[in-house]
Amino acid sequence: MDNLYQAIFKGLAPLAKTAVQESLDNGKTPQDIIDESMIPAMEAIGQEFEAGRVFVPNLLLSARAMKSALDILKPLMIAGQTTTLGTVVIGTVKGDLHDIGKNLVASMLEGRGFKVINLGTDVSKERFIEAAKENNADIICLSALLTTTMDYMKEVVEAVRADGLDIKVMVGGAPLNAEFAASIGADGYSSNANEAVQVAKKLLS
Amino acid sequence: MTGKERIRTVLEHRNADRLAVDFGTTPVTGIHCKVVEALRRHYGLDDHPVYVHEPGQMLGYIEDDLAEALGTDTAGCFAPKNSIGVWNKDWKEYRMPWGQVVMLPAKMVDSFTEKDGGLYTYPEGDRSLPPSGHMPERCYFFDSIERQQGEIDDDNLNVEDNLQEYGDIDDETLAYWKTVTDRAASTGRAVVAGFGGMALGDVARIISPAIREPRGIRSVAEWYMSTVCRPDYIKELFDRISALAVRNLEKIHSVVGENVDVVYVCGADFGTQTSQFMSVETLNELYVPYYKRMNDWIHQHTQWKTFKHCCGAIYPLLDSLIDAGFDIINPVQIAAKDMDPQRLKDEFGDRVTFWGGGVDTQKTLPFGTPAQVREEVLRLCDIFGKDGGFVYNTVHNIQANVPVENVIALMDTLKEIRS
Repeated sequence: MDNLYQAIFKGLAPLAKTAVQESLDNGKTPQDIIDESMIPAMEAIGQEFEAGRVFVPNLLLSARAMKSALDILKPLMIAGQTTTLGTVVIGTVKGDLHDIGKNLVASMLEGRGFKVINLGTDVSKERFIEAAKENNADIICLSALLTTTMDYMKEVVEAVRADGLDIKVMVGGAPLNAEFAASIGADGYSSNANEAVQVAKKLLS
Repeated sequence: MTGKERIRTVLEHRNADRLAVDFGTTPVTGIHCKVVEALRRHYGLDDHPVYVHEPGQMLGYIEDDLAEALGTDTAGCFAPKNSIGVWNKDWKEYRMPWGQVVMLPAKMVDSFTEKDGGLYTYPEGDRSLPPSGHMPERCYFFDSIERQQGEIDDDNLNVEDNLQEYGDIDDETLAYWKTVTDRAASTGRAVVAGFGGMALGDVARIISPAIREPRGIRSVAEWYMSTVCRPDYIKELFDRISALAVRNLEKIHSVVGENVDVVYVCGADFGTQTSQFMSVETLNELYVPYYKRMNDWIHQHTQWKTFKHCCGAIYPLLDSLIDAGFDIINPVQIAAKDMDPQRLKDEFGDRVTFWGGGVDTQKTLPFGTPAQVREEVLRLCDIFGKDGGFVYNTVHNIQANVPVENVIALMDTLKEIRS
């Protein structure tokens, strides 16, 4: 595996920046770098997490390394000539300011080939819908950590359906489970950031 | 048995005359002020605004009359300053966004700013500083605002920066602890004290809404990453904190003596809903030696029992936490992965006291029926209550949105078990 793969897998952001520049200098296109090094590295660290051999801090480090490399590539990517798996609008719902898990999901999705619009925290249903329309999104991802805010997810799902948007809604957060997700009419649920990527891929397949 | 005798008995892993119960003596076994008000009304107690001693989670103070109505066996002693560094005194009424009038320190109330339907708080109630807490619209808590100053410069990272909030205890605070522990002991209930200064890597402290100008590692995500990429820094920090804590414990013990039964040591969470924040090896290397230093001092010099709060799926870490000298584990998050109550009791029940785990607060208590609450409380007390080693509490605090009929069902079931 090349230096960029290793840097992302090990979560070494400074090394990732150097390595991505090396790859560019060697004539690789941004899309090739993403496909051949970055996505495989994020997939590999995700698998290590699933197997219980690494933990959330490792995912955070890998995600940061991936983003630092992506920041160098983004200005070089020509609109329409790069491929994504789909567009995701993500945010923590209104009344809730917790964002570590949500940001990790955003990074894992981005690192595995999705275009991600991160709306931050305390996001209203109107803002979710507006951003989904603006970006022609395929999926809205909702996060909540509190039992007092998870019910707002239902309001978002209802607003999305009432608006007639053809879009999938995924939910996640510590107090949720698949049963709750189904009960509010969400299309998908995941219990962790790595699984969220699998669920998103499945929803768009 | 008095409450003190009952708690002492179960902490020695023996059966007491009846189930031992705690409500409200720590920041993690408490009740949201909204529910405290509902309980006071239900039991026909004096109708006055609830005192909020911990504004981060908006926990209501359980006064003696409510403690008696709930049959709690414990009396809590809290730090003199609240989570934003304001002394819990000079109380003033304030109407919260959900309409409830509560009592908060005037210095905090007078510094509130309102914006977009939410509220902002400031370190030590000083509005000349950037806000450190935010309660957005539709929220029932003050969440801390991260104030990490720029990117971490690893070449110039200085452990002194993460020691800002730690220091030698002063005479005023020692006198405070003497007063509050004397009073708590006079109730006949077991005294649970949160002296502070012993937390290792508790992100609620790392983010530090009380500090005026935070330095060092103050972002939650950055702290978690540091457990992987900056282990030497963390070990140096914990070495300094634990050494200072022992020095302060000597002074505190000389003042409060054996009035105290349980000391709240640390609230750092090592579990997520389905996993852990670190491996067993990392816990053993980074944390255990420093926990052990503090717990060993307590066990060698006092009769106090040591209390560790740790949320999440921590089954793989429990052996290490017990080896580190913790007598009590809380909140026993039974809905997390591999936290099956019977398995926990069978494998660890003779070595550690479970303080919590009495009903799931993510699903059953807020969203279940009173009958489901009753069934779960009966089942869990049956499992955890065998041969001592159990103090009843819910899994973490009772939150704002819990229907009062479910809380009443919980309290009535406890009365049924204890009668």
